[in-house]
Amino acid sequence: MRRSITLAIAGLALVSTGLSAQLSPAVTGQAVSTGPTIQGFLFGDARYVTTEGTDPGFGLGQVVAHANGSLSEHVVFFGELSLSYRGSSYVTTVERAILRYDFNDAVKVSVGRYHTPISYWNTAYHHGLWLQGSVDRPRAVTFGTNFIPVHFVGAMVEGHVPGTPLHYMGGVGNGRNSSGVGAQDGGDANGNRAVILSGSVQPIDLGGFRVGGGMYLDRVPDSGAGETDERILSAHAVWNRGMLEVVAEYIDVSHEPASGGASLGSSAYYVHAGVRLPSGPLEDVTPYARWEDTDIDAADPVFGATLSNYEALVAGVRYDFDGLAALKSEYRSETFGTGSAVSSLVVQASFAIPVGGQS
Amino acid sequence: MTRLPVGFRWTVLMGTLAALGWGAPVDAQSEGGEAVAIVVHPDTDAANLTFNELRRIFRGERQFWEDGRRVTLLMRAPAAAERALVLDRIYEMDEDEFREYWIGKMFRAEVAAGPKLVYSADMARDLVTVIPGAITFVPVADVSSESKVVRIDGLLPSDADYILR
Repeated sequence: MRRSITLAIAGLALVSTGLSAQLSPAVTGQAVSTGPTIQGFLFGDARYVTTEGTDPGFGLGQVVAHANGSLSEHVVFFGELSLSYRGSSYVTTVERAILRYDFNDAVKVSVGRYHTPISYWNTAYHHGLWLQGSVDRPRAVTFGTNFIPVHFVGAMVEGHVPGTPLHYMGGVGNGRNSSGVGAQDGGDANGNRAVILSGSVQPIDLGGFRVGGGMYLDRVPDSGAGETDERILSAHAVWNRGMLEVVAEYIDVSHEPASGGASLGSSAYYVHAGVRLPSGPLEDVTPYARWEDTDIDAADPVFGATLSNYEALVAGVRYDFDGLAALKSEYRSETFGTGSAVSSLVVQASFAIPVGGQS
Repeated sequence: MTRLPVGFRWTVLMGTLAALGWGAPVDAQSEGGEAVAIVVHPDTDAANLTFNELRRIFRGERQFWEDGRRVTLLMRAPAAAERALVLDRIYEMDEDEFREYWIGKMFRAEVAAGPKLVYSADMARDLVTVIPGAITFVPVADVSSESKVVRIDGLLPSDADYILR
């Protein structure tokens, strides 16, 4: 009797999680139906920043809500909203909104707003700062900058090539807007679709290791100097296994006036490494360091007025003081353009909170 | 047709969190060293899996069976000996890494949902027979005649070289 009750409760709980299960009357004592379900997370952070030559102060980072919704066994929805402080008010932004039909493991077709899979970091950590090893993203993939088109509005197909460790992703979309910073959410200004192709190899018997790369092609809309053909190539390698977490990425961006002219190239790379300390009193501590280097062609028609060369050495310590919260203390030495290095110290607390239930 | 009470969503949430490693430990029913059997729904067209295939399924890299049914992974709650074995052999992770792994999978939109919690070997064994596409693991002593046990690399839990023990 006790076993039957336990099973019935468990069965109801599982069904309400969206398993689309049709539990037998023998288990639940009644016929059941299921509906759409949703699970999600809240991410957030707060920080104290002191930078050479400026007044130190506290700051609230983004508050991010993420949801996974199962509409049925094959239809899923993913959404990510952020709340960010901008000047004197908070701004809500749809960061990702993806509706996907999963035919099987090999073919999953989706439409919506994505983080462009031209960069590993851009699609591994999204806006969840608790997930990433450092306080902020590498500058080449920082939100609000335009070295790469961070967001992508369009359609994608992705999947695992059967019998191989190869994962692929490809899509077409509107590409970035004329400022280069944001995606074109409301249509393609010049009618030239952006194309993205990316792939990675992730051996299952070597979990945490992957290598991959991508290619992105577009024609950036006219910002005053004419349209610009854009080609981005990237490559990455990741080792996140055992004590070591290493992420290395290289991105090459080429711009060429659509009306003809020289192709101008800019590039960026970073190497991020962290060491998870072994079991003992320091097992929740992860020292890390990162080197970044970005070279911008000053004559670049998209970057020229907004980006400059950049170098940075980042060194810090992450302390996971709770299973879902971390404290990061980070020193940075950054050089912008031809200026001298600027040092800063950042202490950040970040968290993730699971939320969920049946809709 | 009766719809489930809305209040069960909290049961779900708690179950999901516990499956990811939160919550109070529940009874560990298996003894260390005992073989752990991989059990699937009886209609699942899988009699033998390679260990790498098993890893892909448990890690959410493979989410569909050959017949197109989505895989539903039933995980024992933390503190169960068989869960520790699965985390060690299949995931090669500890509880913290396992939790972060699945949060990352969901946040990256790689999976629609994380694994589902079961509170005992009995519950795992019985639910896997009624949820289409389900897969779970139970101590071999808890396998019943109704359980569809999958060979791993051609071996059953009774074989000497079976990997999950």
